[in-house]
Amino acid sequence: MSTTTTAPARPRPTIGWTRQVLRLARTEFTLFVRYKTAWMFLALPLFVSVMTLQLPNDEVVPGFGTSDLALVASIGTAGLILGIGHPSNVFTARRESLVLKRLRVSGVPQTVIFGATIGVVLLFSLIITALVGGAIFALSGALPRDPLMLVTAVILSGVVFSLLGLLLTPLVRNAEAAQMAAMVPMTILLFVGGGVIPLEFLPEGVRQVVGLLPSVPAGEMAQAAYTGHDVFGGFADAREKSLPGLWVAALPSIGVMLAWTAVLGLLVRRYFQWDPRRP
Amino acid sequence: MTTTANITEAGTGGQGTAADPTVVVRDLHQHYGDFEAVKGVSFEIRPGELFALLGTNGAGKTTTIETLEGFRRPGSGTVRVFGLDPYGQPTGVRERTNAVLQGSGLLEDLSVAETMDLAHDLAADPADTDEILELVGIADERGVAVRQLSGGQKRRLDLALALITRPEVLYLDEPTTGMDPEARHETWRIISGLKEDGVAILLTTHYLEEAERLADRLAIMHRGEVRVEGTLTDVLAGWGDRVSFLLPADVRTGDLPDLPGAEVAVESRDQELWATYTAMGDDVSDRAHHTVAALIAWAAEHGTTLKHLQVRGASLEDVFLRVADGAADLVHG
Repeated sequence: MSTTTTAPARPRPTIGWTRQVLRLARTEFTLFVRYKTAWMFLALPLFVSVMTLQLPNDEVVPGFGTSDLALVASIGTAGLILGIGHPSNVFTARRESLVLKRLRVSGVPQTVIFGATIGVVLLFSLIITALVGGAIFALSGALPRDPLMLVTAVILSGVVFSLLGLLLTPLVRNAEAAQMAAMVPMTILLFVGGGVIPLEFLPEGVRQVVGLLPSVPAGEMAQAAYTGHDVFGGFADAREKSLPGLWVAALPSIGVMLAWTAVLGLLVRRYFQWDPRRP
Repeated sequence: MTTTANITEAGTGGQGTAADPTVVVRDLHQHYGDFEAVKGVSFEIRPGELFALLGTNGAGKTTTIETLEGFRRPGSGTVRVFGLDPYGQPTGVRERTNAVLQGSGLLEDLSVAETMDLAHDLAADPADTDEILELVGIADERGVAVRQLSGGQKRRLDLALALITRPEVLYLDEPTTGMDPEARHETWRIISGLKEDGVAILLTTHYLEEAERLADRLAIMHRGEVRVEGTLTDVLAGWGDRVSFLLPADVRTGDLPDLPGAEVAVESRDQELWATYTAMGDDVSDRAHHTVAALIAWAAEHGTTLKHLQVRGASLEDVFLRVADGAADLVHG
């Protein structure tokens, strides 16, 4: 045998990461529309939003009652439900049917495969945000004071929970098991996220702990974005802020979301499995 | 239909000399816990060469391929594709390689056209979609949902997806499983065209005829080790040619002649005794002739007839079965 000499690399055209993500996201969108389970994950956040309308609506921030703010916070559940539910489901199914491996051996980078699915989660999360925002406007005439903060909250939430959904996939063997497994963190995070039970109802100590969970900051940022008030320390002491002041007040929440993104990203990189074969 | 010349890049120049291997595996070991799945496997594949990796189920073939595909880091040893470690499919490897996986890996909710268009648009330097579909014989199925394709049609689509990126190295993991004989022969023709175009190919298959027809060199793995390796001629040469005949009633076993370069064995088949000479000489092309000629001369001298005289070269199946039985010693051609 010869030594390990090799054929020299011949220049070949390259394709940009962005172009690949957008192209794959287009197909992900088509597939999302064709998946019945995806429609369930789409309907669930809207159901949660409707449920908040049953809460008492005593005014806690000028112009906004408890029910109004729970409805606003439910915007944060869109990324939670879609993010945990959709990626865990499709990535498990695709790993087992070798679709992920097929994409990888075709030269599609990992980040493109993840990015396209997360992109679709973000798109549908923003669509739900628009629907809930329309409902809020119809019910109370309110529009977000800081739309950028609202969109930021939805995007951060979608990314964090998509990574959490991806992290569930190594634990399960098929799509059905993935759906069941997804329900556990989804339910827990929903209940402590402020969209189902207003955080005002929780004891202060518990509230501080759950404030470190990724489901709380998105809801609080949505509430701050709508009300223009610093609601991050609770409604009782909420004060109206200028937009820059609101962003400063939101920094801890953004920091929590970014920290979760970093941690979950590293865990996904370490533990995500592309191959159904296990040692 | 066109040849594969216009869908591959490998033969279009700049590939390096024929002596430069594009795939190099050196003393590869892979462990799953305490279980050693691959034990010191080494081989090389050059442009335009097809290397067949055969073996029993669980022999370590797929683990070896997965290491080359970049899904597993070598436990020890060296794996290089285009001179690079393929683990994680780095730039410089991923855009130049592709594979037909053991299973299909298709998005069942897409149509054939949608599947091909996606693969085309994700590729850096894609071939023409229609041309590829024509080549693999499923051009008429463009509008059909993948879930409605037959098993054989899905394998053709797998091959189409592997070809659309114009790979210079191609891993084929049982590519014709599920195909009807016509489709299998057509796929062999396509693979031969890829070789002519300079693509380096690693093939695993359970169809030994497939390996016999396509492989320039092959290895047979068993329990994680390469037991036999070389060109087909080398491998078969090591197993000899067999000359058999019904032992004449008036000839005792001890009366059979000793022939140079051949060993004799007598076995009972259907209550009759058969003699088999295995010619093992290095003159692979002539050794069966010399053995038969000597036996005919011996029969004429003794006034007897060699009934049901059969001459059979060793087949790859013979070698494979010996390896699977654990009877084969290490043979490297």
